Amino acid sequence: MNLDTLTVYISSTLHFAVPLMLAASGELVSEAAGVLNLSLEGMMLFAAFFAIWGTSISGDPWVGLLCGISSGLIFSALQAILSVRLRANQLVVGIGLNILALGATTFLNREIFGALSRQLVPGFGLLEIPGLSSLPIIGPSLFHQYYVVYVGVALIAAIWFVLRFTAYGVECHAVGDDPRSADWAGVSVVRVRTIAILVTGAMAGVSGTLISVGDIRTFTENMTNGAGYLAIAAIIFGGWRLWPTVGACLLFGGAMALQFQFSAADSLVPTAALLMLPYVLALLSVAGLVGRQVPPSALTIPFLSSR
Amino acid sequence: MSSTSTFAARSGIRIPAPALVIPLVAIVASFAVGFALMDVTGSSISDAIAAFAQGAFGSPYAIGTSLNRAIALGLVGLGFILAERANLINVGGEGQIAMGGIFATAVALYGGVAGLPFGLSVLLPVLAGTLAAAAWGALAGLMKIRFGTNEVISTLLLNFIALLLVYWSVQSVHLLRQPATFAGTLPQSLSVPDSTELPLLTGDPSDPIHIGAVVAIILAIITAIVLRRSAFGLKLKAIGLNPLASRRAGIRTNLLTVLVLGLSGAFGGLAGTMMLLGNQDYLTAGFSSGYGFDGLVVGLLSRGSVLGVVAVAIFFGFLRSGGISMQIAAHVPAALVTIVQGIIVVAIAGSAILIDRTSRRA
Repeated sequence: MNLDTLTVYISSTLHFAVPLMLAASGELVSEAAGVLNLSLEGMMLFAAFFAIWGTSISGDPWVGLLCGISSGLIFSALQAILSVRLRANQLVVGIGLNILALGATTFLNREIFGALSRQLVPGFGLLEIPGLSSLPIIGPSLFHQYYVVYVGVALIAAIWFVLRFTAYGVECHAVGDDPRSADWAGVSVVRVRTIAILVTGAMAGVSGTLISVGDIRTFTENMTNGAGYLAIAAIIFGGWRLWPTVGACLLFGGAMALQFQFSAADSLVPTAALLMLPYVLALLSVAGLVGRQVPPSALTIPFLSSR
Repeated sequence: MSSTSTFAARSGIRIPAPALVIPLVAIVASFAVGFALMDVTGSSISDAIAAFAQGAFGSPYAIGTSLNRAIALGLVGLGFILAERANLINVGGEGQIAMGGIFATAVALYGGVAGLPFGLSVLLPVLAGTLAAAAWGALAGLMKIRFGTNEVISTLLLNFIALLLVYWSVQSVHLLRQPATFAGTLPQSLSVPDSTELPLLTGDPSDPIHIGAVVAIILAIITAIVLRRSAFGLKLKAIGLNPLASRRAGIRTNLLTVLVLGLSGAFGGLAGTMMLLGNQDYLTAGFSSGYGFDGLVVGLLSRGSVLGVVAVAIFFGFLRSGGISMQIAAHVPAALVTIVQGIIVVAIAGSAILIDRTSRRA
């Protein structure tokens, strides 16, 4: 692998990893608070569609981003109402919402854009960070990105800060590990969990926007294609800690980027094997081959206040 | 929780069989949404209904096709409720169908079974596919007992891997791809020999319902008996209610976890073999086309009842046929059916709190 291909490889790793990182760090907030959103996949798909829709009617990808975030929020509000207020089974709700998102986006795409439309919307501008972007190898791959990617990285840092240093962060962990005690201490489990799910929705919104507007600039049916599940696997891989989770996303992104390296060079390694690699890695990671992980103890358990 | 139930008891309020009424309300409401969407998009509702009815049950052929779909959905659903009894959620139906399809095709084409007597030419491919999928399901069980991996996540990831295994099998001529006779040869397997296809019940191709219907009904009855009457069923229930107490009571919870997830996988695999040897005849990428996920929904909606699985599977079988026909004949997107299904699942999950008057506490 020469230096140029290395640059391309790093850049394409990030290309796959950044949407995963955004979705995973958002989902981590929910999971810290004890809610597992399988609907992450649906939130991303929903946002990917509405980001394209917003961009196409306004001509501005930033309006698209706003639409993506709003639709992610609305979709996650459904999950919050069902799994927190109505205490429905989180997994079942997640699966149902994913079916709904797939149906709704496919339907809307056909109604609004037509089934085979590949009409492109305007994309985000690129920002080259002066100085850093001229570093060898990593310069062009790391510091020559869409503006929105930098926004996303800032959001991940913000999540780290909130979970680590704010009262809300403490409440999240309290509610996720021992909701009963948190409840007795006067923390509203419903409020903390609802906010956490909305944060997940907003981050999934940014992630979905990157997948559609920030990439191929059009919507294709089921275009998230399991990225949401990979993000959830990354959290397990990362042991419910933020930076290891981000690292897991980079690993999965690197695995996905390999397919372009190999298919470009030769076909010694079957494409299918490369496509499979991130899922196999995810499976190995959830099997605890990277050390046994301890989830928040109240994860997926609905809570009814006794106060 | 107790306050709700005592209130209901004191005031004498009794919702008539909510377990039955709520799913019905959910189905009616989601259909209403479906019709409203049709109306908004300017499709003719009467055309759509006519196309739906024609495709779902307008001819013996349509009915047979719908019922064949119901067989696959019902088998996945039965597998789902078996595992669910032990509080295990098998989301891996899609991957298990895929494994069933791959191995059934492999044995039917290259296992030298085509000339075997006594129905072995059909039985062996079916068995191979079923066993492969059982192993695929049991893998999730092994991961659970060995590493504590949540089976929802593992079966989901196994789906993606199995679907890519199908893709791989039909892309590579060293695996199941048909020999490339010219440049445009499609990435799919050869058609399986006639002798390995599932026999039709009537023997008349205009009525395509196959022997799988009988097998599925027998399996449904066995499942009902096992769940209700057998020690195995009772142990599963015990594990589902309290795994720790079950272990203390001497139930081999680990063994049963692997066993029931394997069994659940076997049902999915059997569905896959029947889809392949009954309808499709050749393996192609995406041949499972969402039956695993629909089967999961069937299992969820049936709320653990075998009769529920049968009813919902038949309902969904007709729904799918009708939806496809609506898309072709009345230009109504089949995605509408997906939306309707999604709403049904979400509505029923959301109203579970009304059905189980007692709710779980953290």
